[in-house]
Amino acid sequence: MNSLKKQTHYDSIFIALVPIVICATVMYSARVLLLCAAAMFTARVTDVAIAAARHLPVDTEDKSAIVAAVIFVMMMPVSVPIYLVVVTVAISTLIGKHAFGGKGVYPFNLSALSMCIAAVNWPEKVFTAVKPFARVDFWTGACRSTATQSSTIKAGGLPYVDMLDLLTGNYAGAMGSSFVLLTVAIAVCLLITKKITWHVPVSFLTVCTLFALAFPRIYGISRLNSVKLEILSSSLIFVTLFMLCEPDTTPKKPRAKIIFGALAGIITMLYRYFGAYEIGACFAILLVNATESFWDRMISGDFIKEFLARETSVRNTKQSHKKKSKTGKNTALDKPKAEKPAVADKKTEITEEILQNFSADTARAPKKQAAKEPDKNGKKQQKVTDMIAEAEDRLDNVEFSTRTIDIDAILREIDKHSKGGKK
Amino acid sequence: MNKEKVLRELSDWDDTTRRRKITLSNPVFIKGLALTPLAVAATTVQNSFILSVCVLLLLTPTRIVTSAVTRRMSVPLKSFFYPLTSAVIFFFVYIFMYRLFGTKVFSLGIYLPIMVVDPLIVKNFEKTRKESFTYSIINGLRNTFGFILACMITGAVREFLAFGTVCGVKLLNISLLPMAKTSFGGFIIIGLISAFWHYSVKNYRERLITEARKING
Repeated sequence: MNSLKKQTHYDSIFIALVPIVICATVMYSARVLLLCAAAMFTARVTDVAIAAARHLPVDTEDKSAIVAAVIFVMMMPVSVPIYLVVVTVAISTLIGKHAFGGKGVYPFNLSALSMCIAAVNWPEKVFTAVKPFARVDFWTGACRSTATQSSTIKAGGLPYVDMLDLLTGNYAGAMGSSFVLLTVAIAVCLLITKKITWHVPVSFLTVCTLFALAFPRIYGISRLNSVKLEILSSSLIFVTLFMLCEPDTTPKKPRAKIIFGALAGIITMLYRYFGAYEIGACFAILLVNATESFWDRMISGDFIKEFLARETSVRNTKQSHKKKSKTGKNTALDKPKAEKPAVADKKTEITEEILQNFSADTARAPKKQAAKEPDKNGKKQQKVTDMIAEAEDRLDNVEFSTRTIDIDAILREIDKHSKGGKK
Repeated sequence: MNKEKVLRELSDWDDTTRRRKITLSNPVFIKGLALTPLAVAATTVQNSFILSVCVLLLLTPTRIVTSAVTRRMSVPLKSFFYPLTSAVIFFFVYIFMYRLFGTKVFSLGIYLPIMVVDPLIVKNFEKTRKESFTYSIINGLRNTFGFILACMITGAVREFLAFGTVCGVKLLNISLLPMAKTSFGGFIIIGLISAFWHYSVKNYRERLITEARKING
């Protein structure tokens, strides 16, 4: 049920990205579609390859990597090479998603991770801007590019862009993240349909605005104008909607979401002011993503309860040890260690008999059969097969460095239960 | 596969991994030793080669000396004596390496001398079991060659990804992954190679079990 909810979120985000991709295609040529296709294809191929390597079925409904890939492409300039997109999406899907367990459990936002990887690897290609309706080569992306608005601000300059152009995205910038009006309209739709909640975006943007107001970075203009340029001339609105509101990487409780958004806002502005890269928001998102579950636990009080319970148990143990040592009785620590069972000490040997018992007929066949037709086997048979499967898993997970690999015991257990199951 | 070999390897898997330390129990990719110098300094094949020569000259002599001298020492004293021995040996190794490689040795910075206290060299101080002279040589060489293999693979992969070259020979005109030359890129690449290595070892063991099943009909 939970996964169905998340799936619906990615579906709606994917649909929400469609108008942005269309606008980007109109303004920056059909190369936008080529880059999107390359990113989506790479994300899917990586998903399928990892599923094949892990011997898992391919989840055809999982769109998280594809959506993240499109979001990442929308934050790139149109002149970006295809290999850059392919390599970045493959690495972020591999490291950011599958290394942490895959769908629904990865802690870091994939598109933010992609953006950071691209920025660290190819800053000269990522931090350039192409003017709308400029002539761009379809395959190579060769075109005349300029500096981004963010880099102008970072260098202490004053970007000159009309208010209307700022809102419509009609200035040299990234492909899809500069359409402020369109992004806000999409955000309103998503809020009305309850695909996202207001907590994270509102707290994030409020903190960013207050920070920019209190510490203006652009000199020579009024504070309000400085705030306008800070918020609208970069990808902040786009990042807020498409990266910060991902349900897998944000807290679940409303109050936790507000704290999460505020923290992300503070770190984003600090990165912008003191960081080496212009995309401070993406680095900030990765940082606050690491604290996601902490805020949920903190708000619900679980963290404090766990801490108090741990403290109490430690104190009790210490007191009981003190009492016992005063009375002269042996504590649990003083007791001699229990002797290891004979099986563990015994040198492990796999004889042909054991291997025969460990053959596919006795161990694997009932497991597969039970997985296909669990009702026919009956409860006893099911239990036996489960035990065999568990024993097999244990055998698979034996550490290589472990000195006492109890293979004999495991094989005997399999043998015993498989015979019992047959009867 | 040979029936006896299959049964011998499966019957004592722990011993098999100990004997085949270079592949099945690689000190870097399986045990996670000496990660820092590899992640930071092994950016090219040349740097990896210098690191490998350092370990080749440092690891086995340190083990031989310490196994001979520390037989009756307590663990705290051993923990002091192991790095001291490796530091003294490193002094001579460094002079030799400077003559061999010249100023290229400086490109590794602190990560060459830091090998003196690396767990790869000094982790044996915590072992209570006495190590014989022969075993210290054999085990030292196994560890050394395991490290050299890991170091050369990492260096080659990182050089290819970061610069598009291998041993200085240009293979690609573009840089596939420039972050491979950075420290965090090095950690990520070592992590990926380690994952692949673990996967291969697991596959090998499964293959052995399948072979054993086939042998037994």
